[in-house]
Amino acid sequence: MTRLLRVELRRLWLRRMTWAACVLALVAVGIGIATQVGTARPPTDAQIAEAERFYADELAWWEEHGEEEVASCEEAEAAEGDGADYGCEEMGPRLEHYLPPTSTFVPDAAELDGPSVAADVDGAVAPDPAVAAVQGSLWSGWSGLPSLVPVATGLLMLAFVVGVSFMTAEQGSGALGMWLTFEPRRRRVYWSKAVAAALGTVPVVLLGWAALVGGAYAVYARFGTLGDVTGPVWVQVAAFSGRLVLAGAAFAAIGVALGVLLRHAAAAVGVGAGVLWLSTVFAYSLGGLQRWTPALNFDAWLRDGATYEVVRTTMGEDGTYAEEWVTRVVAGWQGGLYLLALTVVLSLVALVVFRRRDVS
Amino acid sequence: MNQWWIDGPATPPPEEVAALDGELAIETHGLRKTYRSVRGRAVCVEGLDLEVPVGGVHGFLGPNGSGKTTTIRMLLGLVRPDRGTARIFGHEVPKRLPDVVGRVGAIVESPKFFPAFSARSNLRLLADAIGAPRGRVDAVLEEVGLAGRARDRYKGYSLGMKQRLAIAATLLKDPDLLIFDEPTNGLDPAGIREIRRTMRGLADRGRTVLVSSHILGEVEQIADTVSIVARGRLVASGRVADLIGAGGRGSVRVRVAPDDLIIATSLLETGGLTVRREHDALVVDGGPDPAALNRALGERGVWARELVPQQADLESVFLGLTQHEAPGGRTHAGGRRRGRRRGAQPAEPTPPETGATQEVAR
Ligand SMILES: Nc1ncnc2c1ncn2[C@@H]1O[C@H](COP(=O)(O)OP(=O)(O)O)[C@@H](O)[C@H]1O
Ligand SMILES: [Mg+2]
Repeated sequence: MTRLLRVELRRLWLRRMTWAACVLALVAVGIGIATQVGTARPPTDAQIAEAERFYADELAWWEEHGEEEVASCEEAEAAEGDGADYGCEEMGPRLEHYLPPTSTFVPDAAELDGPSVAADVDGAVAPDPAVAAVQGSLWSGWSGLPSLVPVATGLLMLAFVVGVSFMTAEQGSGALGMWLTFEPRRRRVYWSKAVAAALGTVPVVLLGWAALVGGAYAVYARFGTLGDVTGPVWVQVAAFSGRLVLAGAAFAAIGVALGVLLRHAAAAVGVGAGVLWLSTVFAYSLGGLQRWTPALNFDAWLRDGATYEVVRTTMGEDGTYAEEWVTRVVAGWQGGLYLLALTVVLSLVALVVFRRRDVS
Repeated sequence: MNQWWIDGPATPPPEEVAALDGELAIETHGLRKTYRSVRGRAVCVEGLDLEVPVGGVHGFLGPNGSGKTTTIRMLLGLVRPDRGTARIFGHEVPKRLPDVVGRVGAIVESPKFFPAFSARSNLRLLADAIGAPRGRVDAVLEEVGLAGRARDRYKGYSLGMKQRLAIAATLLKDPDLLIFDEPTNGLDPAGIREIRRTMRGLADRGRTVLVSSHILGEVEQIADTVSIVARGRLVASGRVADLIGAGGRGSVRVRVAPDDLIIATSLLETGGLTVRREHDALVVDGGPDPAALNRALGERGVWARELVPQQADLESVFLGLTQHEAPGGRTHAGGRRRGRRRGAQPAEPTPPETGATQEVAR
């Protein structure tokens, strides 16, 4: 078995497809780093000067009219009653509002405590701490480090395609028939291929991700916008890398399994991409079933938790219906189990088919 | 032409070959395979009993679509038989195939390798899979005369080179049994001759060679024994000489002046002989004595320009057997649908030997 595995690993790296995937990974990483330049760059002197001019104008206006504004705001707030908060004290102009948005490599913790936590008009739903935890985590932001996650997902897709083509190329060329006359024990043959694909993609995914993080770090460091890079942040990055590598191996193994089941590379890639696409596009119409869509679960595994929204219809005391968006959480461990189960089930089905199928 | 088979792996001593005499390299019993399709079940191999003795070249003959390739695939565990048993060197296959696969080299249908890899890479992968030493790869490439092109991509190879590479792959294992499925398909005459000599050479060094073909001439010259199949069944098997002997006595081809054709025909026919006209010559069947023919004609002033005794060849035996066996191609047993239709129309004629059809209708 280890002999077969070694041979399959060698074959994987003899393939041009694998090298093409590496090049694609490099391109994706390059683009990912390049997009960070725009957000990492702090405002230029000209932008600051301009912002200060606008701010000064606004401040002058506020000196004159500020008090009236606050008064009318507080009046409205009082009319609403029930402890409503219109934020009247913070109405005054601020310099940040006139500067282009800047992000840091590690998003500010304050920024992450988003206000959207199950904000409920009736106050019927208490803010869910699980939701708050996920939305406040390092990986759920949109700039800096967490904005690299979609590129990492792209690396997973490459691992999947490498797995698919590793299997379908052999079936399509008929070389599998020749191979089986050398090693007829099909269970071994299958596992050696699946494990080789899974192991073989680990370095690609890991190096790609390392290059991405390193490149982004360098960009932010260059502009001096790293933010609060502390030890715990690197621990989080390491944990993410571990989850990413495991996901990459799983995606490659799923690719091999779909390659066996659907025989043709185009069919396997099409089905894989189609399922992800459909489950994303029709997510909202699935309602509570979103919890089980692949895209959400993979995301939850990678980011150690993901949220989704469902519409809840409630009947008010006056007998009218109200619709509200409720945020729910898919935990990281669920995502992990989902990915594991999918990989195991697809691999076992593929193994059964592979063992029984006539090879011609 | 390089004679690369001559300096191949060591020849086993002749005593060993002799000792194996009487054993069977391949033995199948009641092997059956059907393929399901929308039109029902197509019977492809139907109760095939094949016996291939150890040593020598064994021709596996049959028209296209008679199930040769499928049989070979079943022997190699690539295709799962519906029923029946098969043994290679006494080991039941596909169950015990791992025990014996190291002794079997096979090329099924056409050579198939990874197109984008070089010949050497392709062979190295195979060698590594069976734990053969790396040096063996270069040795077998040398043997088949591909050493100079070993670094070239397989997809740029000519058909003949692909075939030679496939033979090289089978030699990696130093096998006792070689199975070649229509190895000369698409090759030029030189390539055909080379493959033929290769097979003969392998057999002469004590290997057993099973070669399938739909062309008799291919195999007749090199085969020691043959099995002839038609529609997935064995129709004849044995030594080539015996089969030819069974095909009837020879005939004599008589060539006379074109003006004498008619009179010669009537002369011979009045003498009680069966005469066929073949282009500008006459063929007298039934193994007549050429001297008697000559005399009969000469007495009436018709002088033969040519008298050629014709040896009955395997071709005619083969055609006789297979045409008789396969008038309309394969048996199609139409699954349940067919069964129902037959119930409604009991008068529908049953094709000969439709064991499968009856079985489905039951
Ligand atoms: N995978 C398959 N699916 C359906 N029919 C098949 C398949 N393989 C072979 N056949 C059919 O079985 C018959 C025998 O094929 P084959 O064994 O290739 O014959 P041969 O090698 O003697 O020419 C053919 O009619 C062929 O069409
Ligand atoms: Mg064939």
